[in-house]
Amino acid sequence: MPRITIDGTVYEFEGRPKLLQFCLDHGIELPHFCYHPALSIPANCRQCLVEVGMPVIDRETGKPKLDENGQPVIQFMPKLQTSCSLDMADGMVVKTHRTSEKVARAQRDNLEFLLINHPLDCPICDQAGKCPLQNQAYKYGPEGSRFEFLKVHKPKRVKLGPRVMLDAERCINCTRCVRFTDEISKSHQLTIIERGVKNYPITPPGVEFDDPYSMNVIDLCPVGALTSIDARFKARPWEMSATPSITITNAKGSNCYYWVRDNLIVEITPRANTAVNDYWLPDEDRLDYHRFNENRPDGPEVRRDGRLVRVSWEEAYDRAAALLSGIEGQRILFLGSAYATVEDNYLLKRLAEALGADTPVYIPHIEPGHGDGWLRTDDRTPNAQGCQRLGILPVDEALVQSRLESGDIQAVYVLEDDPVGSGLFSAEALADIPVILHYYNTTNQTLAVADVALPAATVVETIGTYVNCDGHAQRVRPAKAIRTVNRVLMREIGKSRLDQHGTPYDRWYNEKHQVDCKPSWEILPEVAERLGHPLRYKGPKYIMQEIAETIPAFAGATYEAMGLEGVRLVEIGAEV
Amino acid sequence: MADFIKKPVVPLPDLQPEPQIPADQLYFTEEEKQKIARFKEQYLEPAGAVMKTLWLAQEKFGFLPPEVLQLVADELGIPYAQVYGVATFYTQYYKEKKGKYVLDVCTCFSCQVCGGYDILHYLEEKLGIHKGETTPDGLFTLQEVECLGACGSAPVLQVSNGPYVHNLTPEKVDQLLENLKQGKLPPFVSLTLPQDEAELGGNRRSDAEAVESYRTPPVAHHTR
Repeated sequence: MPRITIDGTVYEFEGRPKLLQFCLDHGIELPHFCYHPALSIPANCRQCLVEVGMPVIDRETGKPKLDENGQPVIQFMPKLQTSCSLDMADGMVVKTHRTSEKVARAQRDNLEFLLINHPLDCPICDQAGKCPLQNQAYKYGPEGSRFEFLKVHKPKRVKLGPRVMLDAERCINCTRCVRFTDEISKSHQLTIIERGVKNYPITPPGVEFDDPYSMNVIDLCPVGALTSIDARFKARPWEMSATPSITITNAKGSNCYYWVRDNLIVEITPRANTAVNDYWLPDEDRLDYHRFNENRPDGPEVRRDGRLVRVSWEEAYDRAAALLSGIEGQRILFLGSAYATVEDNYLLKRLAEALGADTPVYIPHIEPGHGDGWLRTDDRTPNAQGCQRLGILPVDEALVQSRLESGDIQAVYVLEDDPVGSGLFSAEALADIPVILHYYNTTNQTLAVADVALPAATVVETIGTYVNCDGHAQRVRPAKAIRTVNRVLMREIGKSRLDQHGTPYDRWYNEKHQVDCKPSWEILPEVAERLGHPLRYKGPKYIMQEIAETIPAFAGATYEAMGLEGVRLVEIGAEV
Repeated sequence: MADFIKKPVVPLPDLQPEPQIPADQLYFTEEEKQKIARFKEQYLEPAGAVMKTLWLAQEKFGFLPPEVLQLVADELGIPYAQVYGVATFYTQYYKEKKGKYVLDVCTCFSCQVCGGYDILHYLEEKLGIHKGETTPDGLFTLQEVECLGACGSAPVLQVSNGPYVHNLTPEKVDQLLENLKQGKLPPFVSLTLPQDEAELGGNRRSDAEAVESYRTPPVAHHTR
């Protein structure tokens, strides 16, 4: 197998990898700006320079020349090479900045050039704290500036489109954004204009940067030149915690980080997962965080004398159980939800079975024409496939409507959905029968007819599993704390947030904006128990374990198997 | 450029400009389209022909406003943004309307040392305009440019991306302006190279004879 020596250590490799990617894969850090694994390689930032040599081959024997110690003689290339564009070869010897003063000097000088016209915006720049230029300038750059002249001033605060703001001064012309629109999103809306010190990326006249994936250039930008209009100046990176999870705007389940400050979701950024979304996230997924912050309920309510009244959780459970207990199981309609996790739907199904009711059905939320065959889908729910794999099928609207009219349905149990708002039932039709509702937001229109309203934890507050449209099962983790004490959630928050931000054990902990809700996997067992059907689990992990063992469509899909990147259910032997 | 050093501010281009070429004139004729098709054949990808096509468009429309760039992009089948990037990169593509004759006075190192600024300021006074401006009669635009690559005959100016006028003196400038007002472009002048110094008796600064040809051999195969 071919070998390469990097800083004196020998590595074996296969094929013809590029040197920079190989180093990054093997934990050898090399500074770089323009290189991105998903984009073409222009090698224009000149930051990843290394010294490269090859063994000298004796022309007569065709074998490497050896020195007096029996070691091959290495001839180094006269100039430094950009490691991002360099194909590795057998016998190659590489010196990085760790062993070569020449390389360290080149990187330092290159940074000096990059910083000559870079404004000192760091104290107010959104990128500060997660800025590759800032980090690398600290690590490899010169200590001070020798530039005594006026810096070049370029346009600032240019709205490129509805979601992306340009600060041309900060740009180092790595062209990542231009390459993204040319190669990945193919909208061709950005270009670098002018030349020399005057150049910067912008849209051509008359073109708006309204690409549905436009905000990816914000993450690609290695400086603060492209920032999110939505998140500008809201929070510094070090004030927030980032939790790896998935977005629930559509059925793709793109991997993301939820950035949280004071128990509010501030920003959603992509998380790399080659099996689902590569490095990208559609703009709609990023801006879809208001539903976690706004119009959130404040504790459970029950209907008394026609009005919803705030009660304790125990009273709410009692009331729900009392309403259901007098009714024959067959006459209760259980509505599952494609918004809820697999675990919650499974518990609902178990409850329905225990009461002798039909298997729950779910309300599909399909928006034809919304999908683009990439990261947006027609299905606007995250877990339709998860429901179907549990045997929870889309609702037959005509059937349940006629059953409701004829009085065959005497109670409705809704898991995290909105049958009135989605047009399945009218409010009048539900007015006379008990409705028990798990809901996320106070905008839920079924609240008007609900008899017991139970606030449910959203994807950013719960633990659970979602199955995306391609059958990829992925875990979600709690990003923000809820008001109720739940030991499983508390433990998981500590685990999912490396900085422990939001747990009561650190100094940033605060109780602002905590929502009084509970995950449905806590609510459902409480109700079931009061109906005489114990449904206790030690946590969602154990529910999923049971699902993986008992339901063939989920075979093997345990939390351990899913990890951070999820699993393709087909690949671990689950039935379709 | 000197201004840029004193006050280095890059302006933001007008992102919502009014169209300047009437819609009924904004097209390529069949003949021009055939020419562009030939340009495309000369390169592996249509994008390769962008510079030639832009040049053709500039000769047709006089300058390259965004609607012309869009026309070029559509004709070549490449992104509009890419054409815009190319057009802004080269100062020889005029992004706004210029005078009939554009005088590009070089003030880069060699010309500067040999009096490039004197010539520039002389022209400014004579035409009554500042650099970057156009005379009210629309005849002349005066520009300060970077190296024109003719340092051996500094100071130099170029007329409308075409012929050079070498070894400038105020008298030569006067003569040039008179000729241009009468519609006479200066001839293309092929100057001697340093190795010909011996032939000229060691004096490279004396003018060589003007050659009425825009081409010097060797000429690329496809342009013959």
